Amino acid sequence: MDSMVRNPDVKQRDAAQAVVVAVSSDAIFDPEVEQVHGATEPLRKGDAFSFMKAIQVVNERLLTMNSDETLLFDVILLSNDSEEKHSRIIASAKHYGLDIGRFCFCNKEDSIESLQSNKVKLFLSTDTKDVCKALQKGVPAALLFRQTDPHHQTEDQLKVVFSGDVIGSSEEMLHGLREQGFTETQLQGFKTAKGSVKEFAVLMGEMRRRFGLEGSPLCTGLMTVWSSRDVCASALKTLRGWGLLVDEAFCMAGAPRSPILNLVQPHILCLDGLYHMEGFTAMS
Amino acid sequence: MSEIKPTDQAATNAGEEKDWAAAKAFFDSLKTKKPRPPKPQYAVTIAVSSRTLFNMVAERKIYEEEGVEKYVTYQQEHENQPLMPGVAFPLVKALMTVNSRLRQLYPDSEELFDIVLMTNNHAQVGVRLINSINHYDLTIERFCMTGGKSPIGYLKAYMTNLYLSKDGEKVTEAIEEGIAAATMFACGDVENQLSDTQLKVAFDGDAVLFSDESEIIVKQHGLDTFFEHEKEFENKPLAQGPLKCFLEALGKLQRKFYAKNERMTCPIRTYLVTARSAASSGARVLKTLRSWGLEIDEALFLAGAPKGPLLQKIRPHIFFDDQMFHIEGAKELGTIAAHVPYGIGQKYHKGELIEQTVKDVKDKK
Repeated sequence: MDSMVRNPDVKQRDAAQAVVVAVSSDAIFDPEVEQVHGATEPLRKGDAFSFMKAIQVVNERLLTMNSDETLLFDVILLSNDSEEKHSRIIASAKHYGLDIGRFCFCNKEDSIESLQSNKVKLFLSTDTKDVCKALQKGVPAALLFRQTDPHHQTEDQLKVVFSGDVIGSSEEMLHGLREQGFTETQLQGFKTAKGSVKEFAVLMGEMRRRFGLEGSPLCTGLMTVWSSRDVCASALKTLRGWGLLVDEAFCMAGAPRSPILNLVQPHILCLDGLYHMEGFTAMS
Repeated sequence: MSEIKPTDQAATNAGEEKDWAAAKAFFDSLKTKKPRPPKPQYAVTIAVSSRTLFNMVAERKIYEEEGVEKYVTYQQEHENQPLMPGVAFPLVKALMTVNSRLRQLYPDSEELFDIVLMTNNHAQVGVRLINSINHYDLTIERFCMTGGKSPIGYLKAYMTNLYLSKDGEKVTEAIEEGIAAATMFACGDVENQLSDTQLKVAFDGDAVLFSDESEIIVKQHGLDTFFEHEKEFENKPLAQGPLKCFLEALGKLQRKFYAKNERMTCPIRTYLVTARSAASSGARVLKTLRSWGLEIDEALFLAGAPKGPLLQKIRPHIFFDDQMFHIEGAKELGTIAAHVPYGIGQKYHKGELIEQTVKDVKDKK
């Protein structure tokens, strides 16, 4: 059971046409700060803040180009918090002027169901286990990248990076993963993840095409972590086939990915399965 | 064997080891056995831009005259048409030759050349670039396509030892960030004349291997003062210049061949081509190299004579110099020359001080 609360300060989007994104409240507001019982000041900003601001920029640009635009980001804040915190969350969202359309309050066990019933196009969390759990249940999910460098965070451009090792690999190559020690459950998980990545990639492609090559408030990228250049090229073409022409591409071929990601500073990192093997190991 | 790059504690973490292991497993499992790229920490990483690797003159013209959208469309339409080799192509082939020799002698070593394509091209242009790399069967597995943003920040992230580009501004920025870099210039078809068994790299001395401290003396006080100064300080090592570390990296790889008794057939040969004269100012240079523990195979003191004819005989895969005057001289006679925009030499042209003009402050993204 969940309770959905509409945000009166934000114009409601057409959920059927919009890119409905659910963000966990622990990402938007810092959960680690000791919350004093009965306190009323706005909650502290969390990791997802620059993401929220960047989404706003994209929406504003889209509406400037076409005031009837329906392909907009529509954010649902997903909270598992206790009831006493609900009003504080809503008030904090208002305080920061966050473009959150709806608040969804539910128990942790019911989160997946809430995501499914609200036909969320993407669930975002900073917790890789939550992301993997959702992906395994067929809910499209991605990692909210923890931007370590506050000076490099971008709030005026939304950056979405797709990982391409699985997208760009042939069936034969994926088959070879068994020899690397992956279980059937994990391999099935990759297939499911690939399917959900596709849906979101198609939407991002469509949104990206609203803007020109330069000066776009939405920047898309592709990164392959361990594969050869041919897999990366194949991923580029696959994404292109889905309508997404990425702006940036990085082929690491085993070189450390963190220095690059820390420079790129994506907001959304679409795992196609193997990025966070720890998450999958926990699930198998 | 000491490492070519300093070990960064933070860099060696479990996540990175996993990525590395996954890459190793991936390349090992490939049916078409192609060599896997080395571990960046141990490799000599050379980042080349797309315009130095391939000839993109015609495409560049479209970009400059018709804009980025037409340029990207053109590249996409010609995706399956391989690009012609560019000015860094012979160097890349030579690096690959050295790598095969190293792999034969040291099959388990990661101390190899790692060639990375570093371009601010849009990723969609990347497909044509990768197709071209495939066409020539180049061992370039790593690339970074920044979609318009400056690639300079990424150079450090890829642990670059040397960056080659046609864009002087980017090269200057890289040098300012402490990364060895040089601007390459086209010089006609020389590939047929270059060795395909030995990598030859030629360096100017002052303001390339060494700092520009002595060059400042020449420019500001003249040659006589320079000679006196160099004799007086013969035993004081010069400070290092932007390409010193690259020479050092080459030396480390050379010693791997010497260790296996392959000194006579070593596939790397280095040259110093300096305007200094052996008698009056050469000693300090040789003593400096010795104090750094560096060897150079051939030291050629020209005492002011033009470098072009000598370089024509050497036929290096690349020649580094800080003065455009020498770069032009080298180019005219068919040498692949790369300009190192460092030091006092940038303020002078053919011995005359360039008028300081007010430069527009350009936005650096």
